[in-house]
Amino acid sequence: MNNKIKSILKQAELYRSQGLLNEAREKYQTILDLIRKTDQIKNKDKLLEGLEKKMILLEKDIELVTSAPTTPEMSEHVNTLIKKLFSFTKDSEKSTEDDAALEGAIALAKFGQFDGAIVEFGKLLEIDRLRVTSAKNILRCHLTLESKDDALNQFAEWESSDLFSPEQLEKIRVLFNDMLEKKGMAASQVNEQAEEAAAEIDEQDDEEEILDISAVAITFDSGPHKGEQFELDVSFQSGNIISLIISSNDEVLVESLKVGVKLEEVHFYSPIAIFRGSGVVSAMTQIKSGPKKGDFSLDIKIESI
Amino acid sequence: MAVFNIKKREIECKIVYYGPGRCGKTTNLEYIFKSHKKQIDGEMVSINTEGDRTLFFDFLPLELGKIKGCDVRVQLFTVPGQVQYSSTRKLVLKGVDGIVFVADSMEVRREKNMLSLKDLQHNLKEYNMNIFKIPLVLQYNKRDLAEEGIPIMSIEKMEKDLNRQIKVPSFPGSAVKGDGIGKSLQSCLQLTLQYLNKQLNWTK
Ligand SMILES: Nc1nc2c(ncn2[C@@H]2O[C@H](COP(=O)(O)OP(=O)(O)OP(=O)(O)O)[C@@H](O)[C@H]2O)c(=O)[nH]1
Ligand SMILES: [Mg+2]
Repeated sequence: MNNKIKSILKQAELYRSQGLLNEAREKYQTILDLIRKTDQIKNKDKLLEGLEKKMILLEKDIELVTSAPTTPEMSEHVNTLIKKLFSFTKDSEKSTEDDAALEGAIALAKFGQFDGAIVEFGKLLEIDRLRVTSAKNILRCHLTLESKDDALNQFAEWESSDLFSPEQLEKIRVLFNDMLEKKGMAASQVNEQAEEAAAEIDEQDDEEEILDISAVAITFDSGPHKGEQFELDVSFQSGNIISLIISSNDEVLVESLKVGVKLEEVHFYSPIAIFRGSGVVSAMTQIKSGPKKGDFSLDIKIESI
Repeated sequence: MAVFNIKKREIECKIVYYGPGRCGKTTNLEYIFKSHKKQIDGEMVSINTEGDRTLFFDFLPLELGKIKGCDVRVQLFTVPGQVQYSSTRKLVLKGVDGIVFVADSMEVRREKNMLSLKDLQHNLKEYNMNIFKIPLVLQYNKRDLAEEGIPIMSIEKMEKDLNRQIKVPSFPGSAVKGDGIGKSLQSCLQLTLQYLNKQLNWTK
């Protein structure tokens, strides 16, 4: 009997030392029950007293762990690291620095560093292409910080400045209203532990291993738009030919992309990596009917990645 | 997400240590930090909370040198294993190229191992990745506890629990002693680089 108790006690102490506090509590409880039930134990009262003390300390630890802060304020160094590590379009060239900065700011917000994120998004308001997204995220950060007034003030300030075009402002207004509405509703609590205990894994179809390009970023290396970068979604891919839709309003692209034009700097985005390579415009046709009527369908042949 | 720079012939990939709370992910990285000094390319960064539990992640950069004419850099990460940090865990997994799943050999953690593997599958799916395809190895950690008389599961049992379907390389290990830690990492790196080479074709 004594040996059994000793062995369980050893387990309890080990679980405790590894921070497995619930497991430790369970074992201490088992020992307590065992001792209480048995008569032929020396120093029974002393043992029980000792164990109960351990239990109280353990409960305190459990309390400490469950109430630990979930988003500590982090040093500038760690913030910088997070921005760097969680921006996946990071790049040594100027072209996608802004995208990387946006991703970095989003990562900061996701890690709960809202004040830092607001500062970063603020810098990106300068960039036309990212302005609406950044503004939206700034408002979202304020609302997450429960500072609705700050969000409202910020929006009022933007309304009276000429940083945004009327269309941009309208877009933001719609999103902002939506956010405020959502905030009004009670957040539903998701019980994450309610998942059932089974490691059964749904097998998925074994589809062909091909390199999917989901988007491209084209940087012109000559002409009037030298150095400018354009990001486009890929609508269709067949082997090394990717097809994109270009809006007829996108005059720069319609003008610059003609059949035969070599694209020396293209970033190809695939689920596993971003490739840098080159391509050539192999076809360009105007869409004659349907919702995209008037727009252009552009084929790019991937030359090297 | 591996980044492949064709001009500079550089590749950078991301390996994530995944597994239930307290299974020894951070201890794995600490051991690698101590034992792979030559390949370490900077400091280990840990963002912890009460009781040394990982709150956000641990990060350790490695520099493997040239492999088939390409400079290979690796970022090692651990996720926070505790259930309540599920959204951070998912964020850290983003852009992963290879995974070391660390399972806890202790009997009392059996169910937590299985839940964590399922959680991994779920999170990969959210990123359009497939647990059957991603480079993945299993590590059965804390084998040293057998000597201490702590109930641990047999390798066969753990294989049945965790590896019956995914069928990936698996290694017994002890992160405190360092047993099997280098092996699991090397195996994972090998799978990852093979996989990336198939996709990126950098050795051609
Ligand atoms: N005996 C033994 N203890 C181990 C081993 N690996 C880890 N531990 C102990 O287990 C406890 C948890 O280890 P960590 O490395 O912090 O675990 P983790 O997986 O990073 O935990 P979270 O960050 O909470 O997810 C510590 O007390 C370690 O000393 C091992 O191989 N053997
Ligand atoms: Mg940890």
